[in-house]
Amino acid sequence: MRYIPNTKTDEEEMLKEIGVSSFNDLLKDIPEEVILKKTLDIPTLSEEELTEKIFKISKKNLDFRFLKPLIGAGAYRHFVPEAVKAVISREEFYTSYTPYQPEISQGNLQSMFEYQTHLSRLTGMDVIIPSIYDGASATAEATLMAMRLTHKNKVITSSLLHPHYLETVRTYTAPHQTEIHIAEYKNGLSDLKSIESMIDENTAAVIVQSPNFFGGIEDIESIARIAHEKGTLIIQVIAESLSLGLLKSPAEMDVDIIAGEAQSFGMDLNLGGPYNGYLGSKMKYIRQIPGRIAGETTDKEGRRGYVMTFRAREQDIRREKATSNICSNHALNIVAGNVYLSLLGKNGIKKIAELNTKATHYLRTKLIETGKFSGFKYPFFNEFVLEVKDKERIKDKLINNGFIPPFDLGTYYPGLEGYMLFAVTEILTKKDLDFIVNLLER
Amino acid sequence: MKLIYEKSKKGRHGFSLPEDQFKEINLKDCVPRYAKEKKEKELPEVSEVEVIRHFTKLSKLNYGVDDGLYPLGSCTMKYNPKVNEKLASIDNFLYAHPFTDEKYIQGSLQIMYELGELLSKITGMDKFSLMPAAGAHGELTGVLMIRKYFEDRGEKRHKMLIPDSAHGTNPASSAMAGFKVVEVKSNERGGVDINEIERLMDEDTAGLMLTNPNTVGLFDENILKIAKIVHSKGGLLYYDGANLNALLGIVRPGDIGFDVLHLNLHKTFSTPHGGGGPGAGVVGAKSHLVEFLPSPIVCTDDGKYFFEYPKKTIGRVRAFYANFPVLVKAYAWILSVGGKGLRQVSEASIINANYILAKLKKYYKPAYDRTCMHECVLTGREYKEYGVKTLDIAKRLMDYGFHPPTIYFPHFEPYAEETIMVEPTESESKETLDEFINAMIKIAEEAKTKPDLLKEAPHNTPVGRLDEVKAVREPKLHA
Ligand SMILES: Cc1ncc(COP(=O)(O)O)c(C=O)c1O
Repeated sequence: MRYIPNTKTDEEEMLKEIGVSSFNDLLKDIPEEVILKKTLDIPTLSEEELTEKIFKISKKNLDFRFLKPLIGAGAYRHFVPEAVKAVISREEFYTSYTPYQPEISQGNLQSMFEYQTHLSRLTGMDVIIPSIYDGASATAEATLMAMRLTHKNKVITSSLLHPHYLETVRTYTAPHQTEIHIAEYKNGLSDLKSIESMIDENTAAVIVQSPNFFGGIEDIESIARIAHEKGTLIIQVIAESLSLGLLKSPAEMDVDIIAGEAQSFGMDLNLGGPYNGYLGSKMKYIRQIPGRIAGETTDKEGRRGYVMTFRAREQDIRREKATSNICSNHALNIVAGNVYLSLLGKNGIKKIAELNTKATHYLRTKLIETGKFSGFKYPFFNEFVLEVKDKERIKDKLINNGFIPPFDLGTYYPGLEGYMLFAVTEILTKKDLDFIVNLLER
Repeated sequence: MKLIYEKSKKGRHGFSLPEDQFKEINLKDCVPRYAKEKKEKELPEVSEVEVIRHFTKLSKLNYGVDDGLYPLGSCTMKYNPKVNEKLASIDNFLYAHPFTDEKYIQGSLQIMYELGELLSKITGMDKFSLMPAAGAHGELTGVLMIRKYFEDRGEKRHKMLIPDSAHGTNPASSAMAGFKVVEVKSNERGGVDINEIERLMDEDTAGLMLTNPNTVGLFDENILKIAKIVHSKGGLLYYDGANLNALLGIVRPGDIGFDVLHLNLHKTFSTPHGGGGPGAGVVGAKSHLVEFLPSPIVCTDDGKYFFEYPKKTIGRVRAFYANFPVLVKAYAWILSVGGKGLRQVSEASIINANYILAKLKKYYKPAYDRTCMHECVLTGREYKEYGVKTLDIAKRLMDYGFHPPTIYFPHFEPYAEETIMVEPTESESKETLDEFINAMIKIAEEAKTKPDLLKEAPHNTPVGRLDEVKAVREPKLHA
């Protein structure tokens, strides 16, 4: 077997050194009756056979490389530079373990620190946890964190929180007697009155996603004010982090905790994962935040270096008293995100965010102009909702012409069966958009 | 080394963008007043060349499995086959949007379904969820299923038994699932104390989370008795299969009484650790727990693959479906190795661990002096009298060019203190192990004769020991 270097002779020599006469002597703790008598019935393929098999299976998918998505809904096809892939294909990054030994892990640790800096500058938050599995689990962790901080067990979430995030929050909070109240939305944005009316003295946090599930840009600052006036924390969820390149930062809006998804920062769609969640908070909440964080320090000779820090929150030290059970996270995607944001820089992130916004507004304007579509009007980033009459026909048309159709809102929003959620990223050119308008007009 | 920010120069950039063709759209009209940024976001300005050089340099400060032995106990740092990386990034997988109709992603679904079937064969479980993103995530999923199972039966069981040798994620996951953790002591043979289980397993207790082989590298010889006790009192048995490397083709957890388990594909099944993820912590259930699996799971009928939503599901534990490329890698590995190879993997890993134990036990007193499974637990206790800590031994190993083993885990008194947990995996040759063994013996010598050499170690790394206290006292968490 090509992945096992030792030969039969090696093994025999080693068994002799161990002091047993056969391998089976090493299994003496295992009750005889449960040891498998037969080889597992699984074929062995050569590298070439394997490659052929998996490529063939992949052909049963559509040719997604050449299908441009008009869909986002929490997973965005942005352009990923080859430089990102080149870096994360370096064995030093992808074959290493969690940086428990900082002296030989400075690559990962410094990269974590740099990425924390990027996100801190984008969000304004003092504390950034650079990797929680994904945006949904990060939102769930943020919810539990708010409950610990306030010793309260009611949370209010906007109905425009990504439905998968909401379901994940429900799963994580189920054992903790959590009351989840869903605030209404109006015209594509959260209804501030509905949120306000739900807050009471037992409310731990208000959870609002912005841009929300419909792409809408929420007035987080006002929601934060309402929450704080009533003594409640506000959690902003950011499922499309590219929006940070354009919009006011959570810290500027006095958000207490953020839970985000950084997939747009250099990660491919991959049918939904692995992406990279993150958390952020004000400094005063650091002891309740879950997940690994890097900090700067020095060695004895005064050389700068990085370590995992504030470790007394973690499961390996605190066991059942830890702030979370999280151990492995999506570390390699920290490197991907770091490379991506470093390439973009100050101007790049702004330009891509702007391009997304403009292209999206262009498409909506043109579609409305056809007179065939209507929808609520609200400020949006790179997604918007339209009522689509002939849904099934439009889906077919789009897929047959090289575009993945928009998200069908009927899946999660009863009453919106006739509505679709369109997403536009920089992948779609003006030519593509004009073609789409033309196609849908007919 | 400089931070990327320290290389920034106004006007540089490393991105390529299509030209803005939407001049007629005025950005001002798109962003509402309340959301206009006040402060610009000061990311660094660097060219693509500089970015590549920066990260190449950073990478050289790291140590990966491809650099050499990485004997971290409980982590299974085995070789990550190159072909798997390629197969996981085939365009049709890579660019698949999670919200496309099932009929367009039949290939991806087939891989998911077939991987689940292969894992069922290997573990003896009935159905797998591939959704959890890591081992701890799988544990949370599994214990939430246990919780729901009892709720469904109208039973109130709020305690969970967990051995003192368990990985920290076990108690943390149980607590997250709302259980009160009850610790079970290990006995003098390295197993769980069966009388304690008998005593603690009551009507308020949901069950036991067990790692087997446990973290001291020993297979619990009482496993069938333990399962019987837990089940006879109406409890369930959770298997922490983060590390299954000793049991492939030898024993199936599903045959020895476990009701639900998780596996780390990023350990036993060769998918890379990525500096701490992403991996996958898939969860397998016996038939009586299948209806509680997280939703959705992949099923098949008449050659078609589709998502199904288990009746009494605990719900979702994340967005979308799974860490898909990780699944492809595990699938590819299982088929490369095959049924025969799986057993060889476990044999080789067990022999390697026992070889190290046999050669080093004179120098580093083992936690338990018995033959082990895929990893062995030594201790650095005897060097305390020279003022040398286990940490010093680990740091000194770096000077010899090795990644140190896991240290200070497991930790429980009186058997496992100052532990050095070595897991060589099947990937290492006898020659590599001999080099490691020689280095460890030399270090044992040095500990007695030149203890300062160890206390000051490592000497040849880009930075020396870093001041962790300072990192907390004067927190600097971003530039
Ligand atoms: C025995 C054991 N259980 C659980 C885990 C947790 O796995 P993960 O880090 O993938 O969450 C680990 C790995 O660290 C482990 O060794």
